[in-house]
Amino acid sequence: MVEKEIEFALPVTEDRVRAFADAVGEDNQILLDGEAAQRAGLPNILAPPTFTVTQIFEVPREERERRLGANLNYERVLHGEQEFIYKRLPVAGENLAGVMRIAKDFTKEGKRGGTMRFVTYETVFTDEEGAEVLTALYTLIETSKDASS
Amino acid sequence: MSNPWNITLDAVAPGMKLEDISYGPLSRDDIKRYAEASGDDNPIHQDEAYAKRSGAPTVFAMGMLPAGYLAHAVSDWFGGPQHLRRFKVRFTTRVWPGDQIVCRGTVNEVEGNTIKVSLEALRKGAGPEGLDLPKEEQALKGEADIELPE
Repeated sequence: MVEKEIEFALPVTEDRVRAFADAVGEDNQILLDGEAAQRAGLPNILAPPTFTVTQIFEVPREERERRLGANLNYERVLHGEQEFIYKRLPVAGENLAGVMRIAKDFTKEGKRGGTMRFVTYETVFTDEEGAEVLTALYTLIETSKDASS
Repeated sequence: MSNPWNITLDAVAPGMKLEDISYGPLSRDDIKRYAEASGDDNPIHQDEAYAKRSGAPTVFAMGMLPAGYLAHAVSDWFGGPQHLRRFKVRFTTRVWPGDQIVCRGTVNEVEGNTIKVSLEALRKGAGPEGLDLPKEEQALKGEADIELPE
């Protein structure tokens, strides 16, 4: 049975934050060094702006597909757009709660003929007090068979 | 490498161009490191044979890797990532091993404490043999809102 939303926990561990910061070439010490973060008035290192893509560790694609039932053919799927709307950045050591759902699902004509289907997964992340931290919008584009050949 | 700029709200005006920040050239190790850190283990980004079966001449970067660089650049232009309120990107073409990523930004609007910026990341490089790609083209188009203290 298809579910309306998926609830999951996203651990923002120091190890994950540092590994991610390193992978996107971050050299701002408030993302890497706890003491530098504290000198800047932060409780701990901040997660880089795109860090919550690590939610794929918690809800892998197969599980997302099975539970939300977008029924996409991943041989013809591209990552089209990504958006983040921030109240603040996550801080290492906290555990975010994520709620993911399909926010948009529509089809339009492609420029080169055929149709393109746009599916946007929205995930709202809240902190341990229940306050919103950020929203992530992940948009996939499924091209029609004609356009991708 | 780059460092957060010290920029104040009154120094920002519409039309202001931010100084280009360049990353790379991107290596396969960079792609592997990002795959491990992000959880994006799609084999199309790391497995040459799989990429070829999927119709690509070789492996290419996950879009979120240059998007991560672009988020880094916009963070640095405005004093650090803590000032970001919104970051959006659209992926316009693939980024290949060997490409440099050049991040560009222009201030569009300043409304109160909020600065609206349009963003672009170019891929610069020869690209895979046989594809005959332009040496420089837009790979990501984006926008961001930044909130600076008074």
